[in-house]
Amino acid sequence: MINRVFPKVSLKVHYVKLILLLAISGTAMAQGHGPLYGLQTPTLAKGGVDLNVAGMSLGTETETSYMLRYLFSYGITEDLQVNLTTPTMIERLENAPRTRGNSNMPANGDIEASLWYRFFSNAFGVGKRFESTAILGVSAPTDDVRGQVNVGNSIHAAISTGYASRTWYGWIGGGYQYYFEKDGEQLGDLPYASAVVGYRPNIFMGDYPKPDWRIFIESLAEFPGDNKFDGQPDFSDSRSTKVLVGPSFLGLYGAWGISFGAMFPVVQDLTPGTVKEKYRIAINLSYWL
Amino acid sequence: MKKIKIMVIIGILGIGTVSGQITKVDQEVYGMDCAPCAYGLERGLKKMDGLQEVRVSLNDGKAYLGLADENKLTLRSIQEEVKKNGFSAKKAEVTIMGNATKEDDQWFIETDNERFAVSQDTPVELIQKLTAGKTSVSGTVQDEEDDNLSEQWVILLSKIE
Repeated sequence: MINRVFPKVSLKVHYVKLILLLAISGTAMAQGHGPLYGLQTPTLAKGGVDLNVAGMSLGTETETSYMLRYLFSYGITEDLQVNLTTPTMIERLENAPRTRGNSNMPANGDIEASLWYRFFSNAFGVGKRFESTAILGVSAPTDDVRGQVNVGNSIHAAISTGYASRTWYGWIGGGYQYYFEKDGEQLGDLPYASAVVGYRPNIFMGDYPKPDWRIFIESLAEFPGDNKFDGQPDFSDSRSTKVLVGPSFLGLYGAWGISFGAMFPVVQDLTPGTVKEKYRIAINLSYWL
Repeated sequence: MKKIKIMVIIGILGIGTVSGQITKVDQEVYGMDCAPCAYGLERGLKKMDGLQEVRVSLNDGKAYLGLADENKLTLRSIQEEVKKNGFSAKKAEVTIMGNATKEDDQWFIETDNERFAVSQDTPVELIQKLTAGKTSVSGTVQDEEDDNLSEQWVILLSKIE
């Protein structure tokens, strides 16, 4: 695989661009009231609708992506939720790392439909509950080639479990994305795991309908497999290892939610030809109908 | 004769109207941790016919409900709305205007749609105040399994009007 060289544009310009785009779009949506990047568990109320817009950016050593993403979620029951998410790619990465935007959104230009099933829930106190959710999704790409490899449809499955209270939150989970072969080429698969801890300080313990803020420390471990492509001398079947950590913030007010955060790589043990990441940033806005 | 006619007409018109109902519910809710959770529950409850006041408190974990003078709402429908929002409805403090009846030494308070068995743990002095017929009582309705709700409840009385 060949790493292309792209013209360098100052990071400042990219930030301004992203902020402007988000401002113009008016809404950037969150996936819900959990973490920004990690797997989570909450599902919508029966008949509940959640509309989301997200602005995401991923910076590598050589280039930066910008994407707006829209998400529609509907609660079939209080434990079963269907989601559909579509992207507007503003700037794609030629050599995109395989990752996910979050539990509900791909990080690249895929259209994804998914089903969330909260198969376990134990509300055991005021504001307190344990719950576990399984996710199954299917994706179709909006690009033909990603990282010089033909990109096909994919499936995504994940499972997460977590604890929520009025003060502390925690989720752990794991997932797997598998890309199908297209015209003899195939993107590598993506096993990953996430762990999130959240806290809401006393100052934000005001009762509903006062605003409600919380902070999360999120971590992701990703193990993307190598791509298969034409002219490959020898498929090594090796995997990269990436660990990312970062903060995110979630503010909720009535039917509205805003979250924003960033992740930074702390471990990047990459197979040859895989591009190094520098950061991921995202902002989301949610509206519950 | 005229008075009797008027009474008959009033009696006929009165058929089908509500004669017993819950007038106030402070419903305990477990598992509700965020503003959109409270918003969703508040909105769902406000859609129910017969509710005059709805206030949801995250910190208390409660929905405070004031019901219309004449309503056909049931505690079951309120708890089902809580469940529909993904939470667990626990005990409820209620005020009921209903009919007190006694069967085999067991007191019941009945509304049009539900029946509340007076708990044996109710203080004796309160039970002694009960008389058959229309009454207004307050008390705590014991928690029932969310998946197994019926029109039968157990209430621990705290006050008889």
